Amino acid sequence: MNADMTLLRRVMLLMCALCALGAAPVHAQSAESQAQAARQQSQPLNNAPVWREVRSGDSHYTTVKGVETGVLIQSGGQTWRALRNGPVMLYGGIVFCAMLVLLALFYKLRGPIRLSGVKTGRLIERFNTLERTAHWSMAISFCVLALSGLVMLFGKHVLLPVFGYSLFATVAVICKNVHNFVGPLFILSVLVFIVLFIKDNVWQSIDALWIRKAGGLLSGEHVPSHRFNFGEKTWFWLGVVGLSLLVGASGLVLNFPNFEQGRFIMQSANIVHLVGALIVMTLSLAHIYIGSIGMEGALDGMKSGYVDETWAKEHHELWYDEAVNAQPAERQAGALPAAARI
Amino acid sequence: MARMKFICDAERCIECNGCVTACKNEHEVPWGVNRRRVVTINDGVPGERSMSVACMHCSDAPCMAVCPVDCFYRTDEGVVLHDKDLCIGCGYCFYACPFGAPQFPQAGAFGLRGKMDKCTFCAGGPEKDSSEDEFRKYGRNRLAEGKLPLCAEVCSTKALLGGDADVLADIYRQRVLTRGKGADIWGWSTAYGKPDAPASQPAGGGQS
Repeated sequence: MNADMTLLRRVMLLMCALCALGAAPVHAQSAESQAQAARQQSQPLNNAPVWREVRSGDSHYTTVKGVETGVLIQSGGQTWRALRNGPVMLYGGIVFCAMLVLLALFYKLRGPIRLSGVKTGRLIERFNTLERTAHWSMAISFCVLALSGLVMLFGKHVLLPVFGYSLFATVAVICKNVHNFVGPLFILSVLVFIVLFIKDNVWQSIDALWIRKAGGLLSGEHVPSHRFNFGEKTWFWLGVVGLSLLVGASGLVLNFPNFEQGRFIMQSANIVHLVGALIVMTLSLAHIYIGSIGMEGALDGMKSGYVDETWAKEHHELWYDEAVNAQPAERQAGALPAAARI
Repeated sequence: MARMKFICDAERCIECNGCVTACKNEHEVPWGVNRRRVVTINDGVPGERSMSVACMHCSDAPCMAVCPVDCFYRTDEGVVLHDKDLCIGCGYCFYACPFGAPQFPQAGAFGLRGKMDKCTFCAGGPEKDSSEDEFRKYGRNRLAEGKLPLCAEVCSTKALLGGDADVLADIYRQRVLTRGKGADIWGWSTAYGKPDAPASQPAGGGQS
């Protein structure tokens, strides 16, 4: 009997200890609660320590379940609002529009970069089907995301006054859902793209020449390069690897509220998402320009996969030399590679 | 025109959660959403204080400022309401609000949250007053019936008050005066202790 009592007492003691451990975070005599207890003695009804707690953004006890329901005041929202509705929107909008104007001016003044020589009619394969599929999946999803994102950010000030509330809300809800579902596809295509293109985007010594001559962009001079020149490599590392992944990762944080992230994480992720997206969208305008109307023959490579020999020689001389040396038999015979006859 | 406000008297709130329950029942609030909640600070220790919190119907409402479809509006009485037909469930109002008032019936993957729901100050929404549609989306429109918010009306200790800000301010001021601690709670005594205390205290042994 006595032994049983001792055992029971031990078990109870152990349980009490465990309870105390488990309950420690809730009932701990924290510095704040001690301050309030002391204040109750010295100045009854003075709740200054409590109000400091209210303002602190810490979580307190509540029976209501949900994300951060124990927090009375979360101040981060004010910072987020001030940043989003302030500098991010203002400067982001200005920079984006400035790039459009700049490219229009460049097109007007400089015109498209034309080939110096005559097209030979002989074609070289520049991008295989897989590479083109990866590029266009990324490009199309990027454009869809960019447009729907712009509607979400600037639509209230640009489209809403034109469309009216009902129509704009319909457009916005479509944009939001398209944005949220296409986003993960974009990330997937970016990852595939990186795997396919990383090898040829590693920096090479010849890149120094391109930097020194600023790509020949203004002089019109053709700077030799391997498969990708330094400009393309910068776009790969900055636009695709850096910014697209950053925007993608922050987008995932926002896209899955089911993991019950707190507000601070969402606010921070949203700012990273907005800033990153505005930069990469602005830069993409330049890429889209030079890849389409800005340069003669540039679109062919990504469209059909083949470029004219003249284009290859002028824009990527070293890559051209390698490509020619790689298939000497066919070249000496003067025949086109079978796949090149399109 | 009255400027509608809530005030919660931390000296009176006894954490009964009556306001939470009454609100949920009156408006048949969607599952998973609580338009009002009671938070207790220093739970279980001397000086414990509870307060009931919901949408504070801000004059410069952050939700309104960040909403990408501009679905919020403010009534003549200063109540911040929103149009669920326009709401796209983006969650921005939830990011912006310091009080955690805007809530969503779901927290689904791919940002599928459903329409935002929050305290309406028992003032319904943009639909016709007291219509079936209004009740289904926003709950009861008590203001249209000439009644004040139910949470405040049911409060057993009258800790939570809702109504015209001028009236509430008068009531609260009266309470502070009646408690007899109005003058020495703040200001001089907060900084230096009770007026009669310093003389009786030994040098260097003042209470923290």
